[in-house]
Amino acid sequence: MLDDTFKAAFESKPKAVSLELQHEVEQFLYWESKLLTDRRYKEWFGLLAEDLHYWMPIRSTKIMREVAQEYTDEQGFAHFDDNWYTMKGRIRKIMSDVGWSENPASRVRYLIGNVMVVPENENTINVVSASMVYRTRQERQLDVFACERRDVLRRVETEAGFEIVRRTILIDQSTILSNNLSFFF
Amino acid sequence: MNVKANVGATGAYSDAEILAMIDEKNGKFDPKIYVDESLYRLELERIFARTWVCMGHESHIPNSGDFTTAYIGEDPVVVVRQKDASIRVFLNQCQHRGMRICRADSGNAKAFTCTYHGWAYNQGGDLVSAPMEKEAFGGCLNKAEWGPKQARVETYKGLIFANWDADAPGLDEYLGDVKFYMDIMLDRCEAGTEAIPGIQKWVIPCNWKFAAEQFASDAYHAGTTSHLSGIMAGVPEDVDITQVAPPTDGLNVHMENGHGCGLFLRNPMFYMTIVGPKVTEYLTTGPAYEEAVRRLGQGRADVNLCHTNVFPNLSFLAGINTVRMWQPRGPNEIEVWTFTLVDKTAPQEIKDEWRRHTSRTFSAGGVFEQDDGENWCDIQQVLQGHVAQNQKFNIEMGSHTVTADNPEGFPGLSFAYTYSEESARGLYRYWTQIMTAPDWDAIRRIDQRPLAAE
Repeated sequence: MLDDTFKAAFESKPKAVSLELQHEVEQFLYWESKLLTDRRYKEWFGLLAEDLHYWMPIRSTKIMREVAQEYTDEQGFAHFDDNWYTMKGRIRKIMSDVGWSENPASRVRYLIGNVMVVPENENTINVVSASMVYRTRQERQLDVFACERRDVLRRVETEAGFEIVRRTILIDQSTILSNNLSFFF
Repeated sequence: MNVKANVGATGAYSDAEILAMIDEKNGKFDPKIYVDESLYRLELERIFARTWVCMGHESHIPNSGDFTTAYIGEDPVVVVRQKDASIRVFLNQCQHRGMRICRADSGNAKAFTCTYHGWAYNQGGDLVSAPMEKEAFGGCLNKAEWGPKQARVETYKGLIFANWDADAPGLDEYLGDVKFYMDIMLDRCEAGTEAIPGIQKWVIPCNWKFAAEQFASDAYHAGTTSHLSGIMAGVPEDVDITQVAPPTDGLNVHMENGHGCGLFLRNPMFYMTIVGPKVTEYLTTGPAYEEAVRRLGQGRADVNLCHTNVFPNLSFLAGINTVRMWQPRGPNEIEVWTFTLVDKTAPQEIKDEWRRHTSRTFSAGGVFEQDDGENWCDIQQVLQGHVAQNQKFNIEMGSHTVTADNPEGFPGLSFAYTYSEESARGLYRYWTQIMTAPDWDAIRRIDQRPLAAE
């Protein structure tokens, strides 16, 4: 099953958190996506926790009776199934001069919305958000992706205020309608 | 009436013109094979509707009633495990008005019912009932006659294949020498392989033959510029990338029936950067390696990566164990369908590593595969130009190294140096031959001997 913690936290409408916490979390998510849009990959990587799991399961078309099996589980194949070390490798690739899928680079924009915050405790905060990713590249390639992101954020004493411990990306497309996923969600 | 100029038996091109599209002697070929609509329609008829096409792995559908939908070319099919453990593959098309019978990617079903008018099919695809049969058809509907078209089904060590053509040879004969190379992935251990659950699918706007040819023959792109950044993503930071030597010991192999492969010997460098140290250790030392030596012999056990294409559109990397079907979608587009195989008896930790690393390297977001998608769609776009379509492409690499046998004693029609296009030349030559052969009798008569042997 996908993320039992999140399932439990969103079984019923979560209790509203303080405006301050909501604001803090939203500003963190906006900052993070700005770093990606501006291709500041090293700084973005700095927001990832060393015990990171960055995971995008595969979605497929199921009859309603079997819709609980729409996504692959943690033992299944995934679009992304990365830890901190393998993400570091991805950053090396994207920042190299010879990473042809991103050189010339894509132009990627993120619209983050529907942000719902459920603190687990003072330091660990579960966040659900919706993200629209708009990518153009080369002469006329255009890709649009919509997804739900389930983040576990940890409070840290940095300027950004949080680090990402876990990001589960539930992408809406079953067949990915693009030639690659050479960017981050 | 709209008559095309120069119409031959096969459409816009005569047989002689198709046969001339590859000029092995001079190392040239015609890129119209990648863009021409009439050639593409002919491929669906003469290649995909007549050859053995992979449907996936048996472990995708372990239990009675488990099904997955798949494609033979552009024809949708349903692949269903039967009560007696056999597998049926039938056209996903109701013969009443042509509606798709099964509309999910996979699942378990006792029966399939067409959502248009309710014609119902059993797990084997046999038509068993039609609503108001007595009133609407007077009880005269011959149900045995009106089931969807059934394909021939055979398996090879877990991989499921289907074929529409009753005259085609059996799968075993069709695969021929390529089984020897498939076994490097499928037969390392007694228990065989299982698929990690889940098939990843994505779209690349390119012709299916770019992908098939690359896996059949192109070690050159991996050893040169394409995947430098993918290698960088996999080597530890403190390793100087210029010290990572690409493998130079290996073979490029052209086989009968259009199959081809290339392999590296005794250099696990690519394993390290792709599947990481743990899987590399599992593959190259210890009890699993020793079992592989016993089963496959020392030579094959020491193949460190074998890129293979089983004609027409099944490719895999033995060792990495990424398996993919290049589903054609017109001359200008493919869907990539890919999954990962692991040794059934490998420790769970190794299976997890294998899964994570194939997702990291060979997938839509894979640090290697991202760059393949980039190359192929640029080529396809360039080929929309009239002048670009009329330039010949170079396919002469390694011609001077071609031999009829090899020091390893591996099977095949002809062999060449690792960085060579012998297998690609064989693939395209066979493509011209099968495209101009009207039936399997004619296909059987194709002279498949490589030029060097003539």
